[in-house]
Amino acid sequence: MIGKEEVIHIAKLAELAVSDEELPKLAEQLARIVSFVEELNQAPAGETAPAYLAGPEMTPLRPDLVDPVPLSLSPAEIAPAFVDGFFVVPRLGAMEEA
Amino acid sequence: MSGEAGKRGSGAATALETGARLAKAEPLNAVLNWSQDALDAEGTRVDAMTTRGPLHAVPIALKDNIVTAEQPSTCGSRILEGYTSPFNATVVNRLRAAGAMIAAKANMDEFAMGSSTEHSAYGRVKHPLDPSRVPGGSSGGSAALVAAGVVPVALGSETGGSVRQPASFCGVVGVKPSYGRVSRYGLVAFGSSLDCISVFGRTVEDATGVLSVISGHDPLEATSVDQAPMIPETGFKSLKGIRIGLPREYFPPDLHPGVRAATDRSIAALKALGAEVRDISLPHSRFAVPTYYILAPAEAAANLARFDGVRYGPRHIEPPDGDVRALYQATRGKGFGPEVRRRILVGTYVLSAGYYDAYYGKAQRMRALIADDFTKAFAPRGVHFLFTPTTPTPAFVAGEKSEDPVAMYLADIFVSAVSLAGLPAMSLPIGRDQGLPIGGQIIAPYFQEPRMLALAAALESVVPGTAEVRS
Repeated sequence: MIGKEEVIHIAKLAELAVSDEELPKLAEQLARIVSFVEELNQAPAGETAPAYLAGPEMTPLRPDLVDPVPLSLSPAEIAPAFVDGFFVVPRLGAMEEA
Repeated sequence: MSGEAGKRGSGAATALETGARLAKAEPLNAVLNWSQDALDAEGTRVDAMTTRGPLHAVPIALKDNIVTAEQPSTCGSRILEGYTSPFNATVVNRLRAAGAMIAAKANMDEFAMGSSTEHSAYGRVKHPLDPSRVPGGSSGGSAALVAAGVVPVALGSETGGSVRQPASFCGVVGVKPSYGRVSRYGLVAFGSSLDCISVFGRTVEDATGVLSVISGHDPLEATSVDQAPMIPETGFKSLKGIRIGLPREYFPPDLHPGVRAATDRSIAALKALGAEVRDISLPHSRFAVPTYYILAPAEAAANLARFDGVRYGPRHIEPPDGDVRALYQATRGKGFGPEVRRRILVGTYVLSAGYYDAYYGKAQRMRALIADDFTKAFAPRGVHFLFTPTTPTPAFVAGEKSEDPVAMYLADIFVSAVSLAGLPAMSLPIGRDQGLPIGGQIIAPYFQEPRMLALAAALESVVPGTAEVRS
């Protein structure tokens, strides 16, 4: 059963701020969802089946090669400044308050 | 494209007509972004095309998780408010090349999580026939726009039934293709092993025309299957020799009487057309919803990690001198709505140390068993298609399931198994009960969309989708 302490722990893992006021309701809803998905424990023969692989068998694997990432727009078109294959960024310190 | 979508004249005229319809449909809250200027620009572009494409001057709405370089793409979330993608989704480029005009970005459940389009950060979408009811979800904005006659066709996305379910509630056609049939380049990821861009149309013919244009291999998308675009089949003259399975798990004794009457009438019509109808079993389908609600939140927890105020999203920080983790937590805490937060927490829980095998591992094995049920049903001497109701009830009243997330999840009870198996399936209107539309679902083997759509066209021609099924 999920309690408040467990919700705080999961929220930390998920990098999600949760306020004290919402904790009781959230714990109750998560407990309800988790107890619902635990219906799977009633399933027969679930232990021996192989894990599912997404998609039909013809879903391709990409060859294990390092290639440039095919972007629909080149970095030069997206970046504010791009010179000789490099992104131009502000000089270190130029963005700091004086 | 013939049908309603094929009657278009100039792009400029379509832009004006569509703009007027969009303005009139504002009370539905089905649109997150549109402008007459953008529509006019689309009209001008189409009128300058030298060849008339198959979707010439057809206005189309896009669910707001399909990115365009011109309009913001918010996914119905505050965390992406004002975000505009630097590129177009592949489906957008293909639609435009075929002459279609991007008319509007449609409202949706935040990050496609929901079954009622009540979970949008920008307010709920209203059902076009009864504003007190929901249009279904998560692609409820796209469905409502097609049902209200604002656009003849629209794109949505499915992770666990998010096009078929709203299509059923709104009385339009909704087609989910096979996993890998349509490129997802430019679709904001939710559950990567499940997500499919899918199509709404007023008619089977219109939806078929759009699917033909957007399908086919895309080298920009790793799961895109190496197949040519779909070529539609000419309709069935008769259904002699076609075997259709009725999975008994999808016709429970407590099925809504209107839904039962509508499906009974469709089954009689399929028989009258010559089809052989068989009672079959998909024994693991009853575990589809719990399986889905382990796997999809687990994938979502990983996919939505990028929305942290650094890579995406407006930054919040509490306390003002907090560290980077305080920045992540405050940004995500403020940026995500309640349903997305619940699912991220569930996904994180089921993947956390000590629980992984009990939940995620078990669900992955169950997913294989659910998919295997379909493989057996479609085996050589088995059936060619399955027919079921799309949803257990017609559209429900807004707020009815808001307090109980599990009650909301069960609205997808007849659509989630297909998503887990990656199969093509569709919903088409098969009648109305007390004015509310009811959808029938056809499920087909992998890459059998052309035959599935031909069967749907045959059924559509004999079953009036707007007729009452109970007197």
